[in-house]
Amino acid sequence: MIELLTGMLATALLAGGVLLLGALGEVIAERAGVFNLGVEGLMALGGVTGIIAVAHGAPAVAGMFCAMLVGAVFGSVFAASVVLLRANQTLCGLALTVAGGGLAAAAGQSYSGQPAAAIFGPVHIPVLAALPLAGRAVFSQNPIIYVIWIILPLALHVLLFRTRWGISLRAVGEDPAAADASGVRVLRVRFAAVVAGAALAGAAGGFLSLAYITSWSDGLTGGRGWIVIALVIFGGFKPLNMVLGALLFGLITALGFVGQARDWPIPPAFLSMMPYLATIACMVVPPLLARQRRSRFLAPASLGVPYFREQR
Amino acid sequence: MFGGMVFALCGYDPEKLVFDVARASFSNLFGLEDLGLIWSPLILTGLAAAVALRIGLWNIGGEGQFYAGAIAATLVGLHVQAPVGVALVLMGLAGFVAGAAWILVPALARAWLAVDESITTLLLNFVAVLLVTYLCTGPMRDPANAVTAASAHVPYEIPPLLDDLHWGFAVSVALVFAVALLFGRSVWGYEVRVAGANRHAAAYAGMRVRRRIMQVFLLSGGLAGLAGMLEVAGTVHRLEGGISNNFGYLGLMVAALAGASPLAVLPASFLLALLLNAGIVLQSYGVSKYAVLALTGLVLMSAAVGERLAYYRLAPKIPGAS
Repeated sequence: MIELLTGMLATALLAGGVLLLGALGEVIAERAGVFNLGVEGLMALGGVTGIIAVAHGAPAVAGMFCAMLVGAVFGSVFAASVVLLRANQTLCGLALTVAGGGLAAAAGQSYSGQPAAAIFGPVHIPVLAALPLAGRAVFSQNPIIYVIWIILPLALHVLLFRTRWGISLRAVGEDPAAADASGVRVLRVRFAAVVAGAALAGAAGGFLSLAYITSWSDGLTGGRGWIVIALVIFGGFKPLNMVLGALLFGLITALGFVGQARDWPIPPAFLSMMPYLATIACMVVPPLLARQRRSRFLAPASLGVPYFREQR
Repeated sequence: MFGGMVFALCGYDPEKLVFDVARASFSNLFGLEDLGLIWSPLILTGLAAAVALRIGLWNIGGEGQFYAGAIAATLVGLHVQAPVGVALVLMGLAGFVAGAAWILVPALARAWLAVDESITTLLLNFVAVLLVTYLCTGPMRDPANAVTAASAHVPYEIPPLLDDLHWGFAVSVALVFAVALLFGRSVWGYEVRVAGANRHAAAYAGMRVRRRIMQVFLLSGGLAGLAGMLEVAGTVHRLEGGISNNFGYLGLMVAALAGASPLAVLPASFLLALLLNAGIVLQSYGVSKYAVLALTGLVLMSAAVGERLAYYRLAPKIPGAS
């Protein structure tokens, strides 16, 4: 039983870490008022970039950095379209998903199916790794999971809610006209937020291909980019809540694997459905229980609305 | 908007390819019919997304509803013994109902709990894909077909309009006009448009906004499901994994390009069908499938940007813009 739980937790930290990393990026963009539906495409690009980088001799960390860079580059294309040129965010996001998925598949064709040349391997922390349940799951993994699960969410929380920079960013997402009037450069903040978010989405892809799956195949992201977007909503646009949400999703994914490995009498396709159904349940059940608390009100007021300075 | 697309297409490809694509699509009946076969499902999935956009909501689940419709139509087709006409009508009904059923939970959650519909509808796509995978590899698998995982051949076929192009195309076009009439000329359509423009104003005016959301969503899901049924009964004749060809997602782009206007779905879906067909032609020139996919995305993005830029050129002519 302990063995089972340890295995599940270890998988959950990896599977959930991918989602968390992407969601932390998406929440930056969404807090600034830009709805980036292209996470799926960015993750695919990041994933293939990581694989290609390590195949050319880079260590895993450098591979993930390259993935971030590629995410940021494509993020700036998206930002230029939706922030500067004010094109339809939903349409551009979907286009980014399609284009990113296609480009990643085209670039990754010759790397498909091979194991990654370098991965984020396990690092045993001397004393803690011997602990019964958490030992192997938490303290025998690559230290990068601490960055993803602890340092990054905390840093982002402080950045968003405890700094001047953060209040500017949130103001831009709530009421860009008021932010503009008080001297915040709306388009510049939005552009930066989208690029930063896209960089994290790229990193999520790199983490997916270098730490979790450790190989590349077409369609590797498998809808995780969309779960990321749901996770942001589920977490109420708050980085720290998203940590819990990501852990929950990771555990559900891990449960599916356990079911397959142990030959539960449920077809694997149904087990694979669980993360998606759970996401829907997570979105529907809370407002069902507390009907007066409308989750939609937690969203930034100007989410998805392009900003025209001249327009009232 | 159109300029943006054409420009992007020319910008990324040598002129010769463009000519070849045009020749392949238009020079003979065969090319045109192929175009029509891509065009008709796009009309329906585009219409499905556009209908939801009329009330200001995003149905990103066209893909899943398409699959649901395809599953239901295949089941009916395989298990019902009836004259062709009756069977086809039953399959169409089953497809429509299954598509509507697939969107039922997101619609209820949206109407009564204000749960974001774009995510819930979208997540059900993955569930539908997995369900089809399960059915095609498990209970519905045709034992006679060892190579591909697919259901048995559905015995009922939609009669052809031309050689390859079937009556489903005519049905799709007719539905566009029917929906356009419904939205443009009926009290119901007026209420939907008001609710889409300002939900609170509509509620104050005594309109039943929630009920309208439900009806619009069910219609939207039903149309996408019908697209799935037509694909099964008209083109593919069985249930298989990739049957939707991303038509559900592409329908969303059709609707966005059409500005959510039902009639504009026709030219918008034609444009996208042309683009997809061009992709197929390009593949025969050795350009990889994935590169074509990437190209489609880039063209769509330039279309979105181009639409905005076109608006810019018009703006100075509007007097009194502060």
